[in-house]
Amino acid sequence: MGKFQKNSLRMDKAALVKFFKEVQDQFDIFLPYEIDKDDPDNLKLKKFQGDDNFILNKYRTIDPLKSLFYLSSESVLPPTAKEDKRIIAGVKNCDLLSLGVHDAALLEDNFVDPNFEKWRKNTYIISSDCDAALSTCHCNILGHKPYPNTSGEDKARFDLNLSLVDDNYLITVGSQKGQELLDLMKQVSEVDEPDNYLLNELERQHEEIDKKLEQINEEFSPDRDVGVVSKVKDDEVWEELCEECVQCGGCTNICPSCYCIIVNDESIDDNFKRIRTWDSCQLSGYARVAGGESPRDRLWERFRNRYQCKFDFIKQNFSQYGCKGCGRCISVCPAEIDLREVIKALQEV
Amino acid sequence: MSHPNPYDVQKAEILNVIEESPQIKTFQLKLEKPLEFETGQFVELSVPGVGEAPFTPSSSHYQKEEIEVSIMKTGFVTEKIHEAQKGDIFGIRGPYGKGYPLDKFKDRDILLLGGGVGLAPLRCLLQTLIHDIDDYKSITVCFGAKTPQDMIYKDQVDDWKSYDKIHHLCTVDKCKPEDNWQGCTGVVTVLLDDIEIDPKDAVAIVCGPPIMMKFGSFSLLDKGFKEENIYLSMEKKMYCGFGECRHCVMGGYYACKDGPVFSYDKIKDVEKIWE
Repeated sequence: MGKFQKNSLRMDKAALVKFFKEVQDQFDIFLPYEIDKDDPDNLKLKKFQGDDNFILNKYRTIDPLKSLFYLSSESVLPPTAKEDKRIIAGVKNCDLLSLGVHDAALLEDNFVDPNFEKWRKNTYIISSDCDAALSTCHCNILGHKPYPNTSGEDKARFDLNLSLVDDNYLITVGSQKGQELLDLMKQVSEVDEPDNYLLNELERQHEEIDKKLEQINEEFSPDRDVGVVSKVKDDEVWEELCEECVQCGGCTNICPSCYCIIVNDESIDDNFKRIRTWDSCQLSGYARVAGGESPRDRLWERFRNRYQCKFDFIKQNFSQYGCKGCGRCISVCPAEIDLREVIKALQEV
Repeated sequence: MSHPNPYDVQKAEILNVIEESPQIKTFQLKLEKPLEFETGQFVELSVPGVGEAPFTPSSSHYQKEEIEVSIMKTGFVTEKIHEAQKGDIFGIRGPYGKGYPLDKFKDRDILLLGGGVGLAPLRCLLQTLIHDIDDYKSITVCFGAKTPQDMIYKDQVDDWKSYDKIHHLCTVDKCKPEDNWQGCTGVVTVLLDDIEIDPKDAVAIVCGPPIMMKFGSFSLLDKGFKEENIYLSMEKKMYCGFGECRHCVMGGYYACKDGPVFSYDKIKDVEKIWE
């Protein structure tokens, strides 16, 4: 992304709010808002409410980004993704990288999902840096940063990135669509150049959050071999690891990169729609064929499949892991199963 | 630029329904536009408003506008398919996956080992091979079913037998005296004792219930067939047919995109392929 300058411009929050207000007729705008003061994992994507209460920084939202690109249930025949333009802001790097899995699977492979393509095309993504972390955050142990990169193998898929420093947003343009947004911003709001203090401060902030993530995950080595998920075939090891699993499928539904679906018809009078709906490999009927056979009849086999899919199969299919370290599966799990602990236990077998 | 919707279907009108067995019907379908498929590939067939399921055509891939699909009643969608009558309209999309590598079959002895509804894709292959029969050294057909009533395509056996290059053998697991069954009894692998081809350079194509595929493959290996010359048509749970739903993933492979036809050596180490 050489032609775009990193953090070359600046605006303040009032200017950003002004911009959102000015363009809310042209775009559906989704932003993270705090929904519960007591739980730190409390950010939720909501429609822009016209005020400055949204939070672009901190950490990921509760809801995965996929819930706006690959809806939990949508018609594929006919496809029902809308034409309306959207801005989703405050997107974190873990979600951007997960979108990369979906781009690889749903756009860049041998077919194109009609809804995903349209949502993707009509959506402008404004990402932001994490400046805080939840105890479940672990992008660092998968080799990622809690703020988007503009280049390299890990190049994030943002259009515009806003890094919050004190009360300023430092702006990086990531794509032509981002440039369009910036041009609009310049028309309605004040945008100028940041001073060296802000740039240095951003660098310090990045080092600080990097260090914080290292501390949170110090028990889990970043150079660990995740290939163990396929190497460890011992039933008893896996049975023990999934002992508490209640098979709710929450981990796969909330995962920003999981995209398994079922397809079924819904009839209304003489018309019908073909609907695709999220499915979960953790559920017992997932792989069962009509004849009754299932390759993963037992819970531990399904439990193991999720790990193999993330760290082996997706890697074989798309040259990247299917886990970007957002930690939502850990937060959501009623049995408090921690993916990091599972991998660690396997490494110690 | 928007792309074609992979879920779009074309209409397939039912020209005729043939009752092959108590559980299996063959549907002769007339398509709106030709289906450019290769033998071994599959399609998604749908009853509008009910749902869709994957099937392999059972007619030669040289027939592209009128195709036949043999379907066993095993679940919700296939039950509705079986209720369909002449003149009804199905939806069809595809073809999907990789078919049989016919170029590798040239000038070789070919063995088709099938059981139950697994005969459907094998009949597509057999009819396709017959079309170019001069290209192949010989074709040995080993078909099995549970009972004589479950054996499908019985009316075509005489036609197949009329070719010098085709050797047809069949067996049923069990039969009653009143069935007047002329073939062997026993599971399909018993037929392998009677084949007259040299397994070292022959190819074998296996399709049937998982248990039959498993023991069929093992018997072929025992006979001396090479791992890379045994082709299996894998059945896995599948919705989309093209790699989106991920239900058919087996190890790093998709049954839909990388299969459904796999050579034995390619998938022998994938866990639980027989289930």
